[in-house]
Amino acid sequence: MASALLGPVMLIMALAFLVPLGFILAYSVWDNGFTVHAITGLLASGLFVRVLRASCGISLTATAVSLALGYVVALHLARQPPQRRALLMILVLVPFWMSILVKSFAFTIILGNNGVVNAILVSLFGPGARLSLMFNRIGVIVALSHNLVPYVVFPVLASLLAQDTNLRRAAQLMGAGPARIFWRITLPLSLPGVIAAGLMTTVISMGSFVIPSLMGGRQDTMLANLVDYYTREALDWNAAAAVSVILLLLSLVLLALLARVRGGETVI
Amino acid sequence: MPLADPATLRWRGVGNAAASLVYAFLIAPSLIVIPLSFGTGRELVFPPRGFSLAFYAEYFHTSTWMMTTAQSLLVASCSTALACCLGFAAAYALIRCSFPGKRWVNVVLLSPVMVPAITVALGSYLYFSTIHLAPTPGLILAHAVHTTPFIMVTVMAGLRAVDSRLETAAIIMGAGWLTVLRRVILPLVRPALLAGAMFAFLISFDEVVIAYFVTDSATQTLPVKMYSSIQWEVSPVIAAISTLLTVLSLVVCVAGAGFAKPAAAG
Repeated sequence: MASALLGPVMLIMALAFLVPLGFILAYSVWDNGFTVHAITGLLASGLFVRVLRASCGISLTATAVSLALGYVVALHLARQPPQRRALLMILVLVPFWMSILVKSFAFTIILGNNGVVNAILVSLFGPGARLSLMFNRIGVIVALSHNLVPYVVFPVLASLLAQDTNLRRAAQLMGAGPARIFWRITLPLSLPGVIAAGLMTTVISMGSFVIPSLMGGRQDTMLANLVDYYTREALDWNAAAAVSVILLLLSLVLLALLARVRGGETVI
Repeated sequence: MPLADPATLRWRGVGNAAASLVYAFLIAPSLIVIPLSFGTGRELVFPPRGFSLAFYAEYFHTSTWMMTTAQSLLVASCSTALACCLGFAAAYALIRCSFPGKRWVNVVLLSPVMVPAITVALGSYLYFSTIHLAPTPGLILAHAVHTTPFIMVTVMAGLRAVDSRLETAAIIMGAGWLTVLRRVILPLVRPALLAGAMFAFLISFDEVVIAYFVTDSATQTLPVKMYSSIQWEVSPVIAAISTLLTVLSLVVCVAGAGFAKPAAAG
């Protein structure tokens, strides 16, 4: 009876979400009749292959970097008393809720040619020490990793906090050192959280649009930017839709894996 | 906790040092942007030379910035209101009823969060231009769908903490469904609903990709204008706007956590 409450949301969801996705599917295989031209054309184009390769490279690198950074923070948070943990958590939540444009803008100031990092390098080592940190792969990876760290901290912290402290104590009483306890107990038990975080960050970074556009160079164009290019500059909506469909399928595969890792729980 | 021996302490020191570096990395953008916004001149350098409110004055006196801000406020308010209604109803149905296919309904309703924004953006653009829907209502609809899952999740957490027997008791005492909703359910889940609403507002207010595809020059939102501005010529006004947006996120983050906490504890 009360399940009739689902009516409005299902209706809006169908009209404003499923139908638009249907439009993309249709545009990717329909051009005055059913055709796979848009998709085969893409797969044969050097541009698409280059962008796909760059997207995968950037996503995997940013995922690896953010897993490493996020794990360090999660481990530190897990070892703090609850009050202190809540306080330090603010340092993770602020970047999580920060607009991606503000982040990108801040990183142009930090990494730019006359930016903070270069000013420090020049004052320490002279003008020869200037590094090119923006409009290239480094800028994209730094900003993207910054964006992804919170998505790593939350699941990894949850799996660290769920661990039984008696296991570590027992290992210590048996004579294991802290490094051994970490490699044999803490890390293996947190792996489900790490894998979930890694899949999540890969999905998010594969779809990124703003950061590669503002922080990257020509070589760092990602799939979402290619959609934009086909829509606005090439005016080829079939190709744009085909790129979106491929991105959507990649994301769905990763999300299906994520659902499996989380053992059938809902995805958020 | 394991007992502290020298090796443990040494490793803990390494861990603390590494964690401090990552915290510094995480917070650096906010710490850079705020002092920058009070600088002077046209060159954006850190640390800023001099102190002034010139960039804020420029923001508040430029009509295009004000128009885009008003547009963002309109879209975020309307889409949040719509998302609250949809999300609350859906959350109630999913928590209190059981029906076949419930798991799938749940997955479908939460899926807008997981789908890459660019696919929704392109799809909405193609769809709205086909059915001749104006950009503003189109964007409100798209953002409502995009933010409904956040409200659903927070309200579902809130409802789980509410004993359903309270509703049964109210009904037995003769309350109609509207009374039960107004006097029993809403007061109990209000913190969760408010937290969800604040998050939804912030997400819509900051959203770039869908807005960039759906709006035109007359209806563009603040993030879209910021995006093109950062792309072409970085004007110092961006520093002032970034600071204001950072303060907004901080407020939402602290207030949202404050609202969500009693619900989680209860």
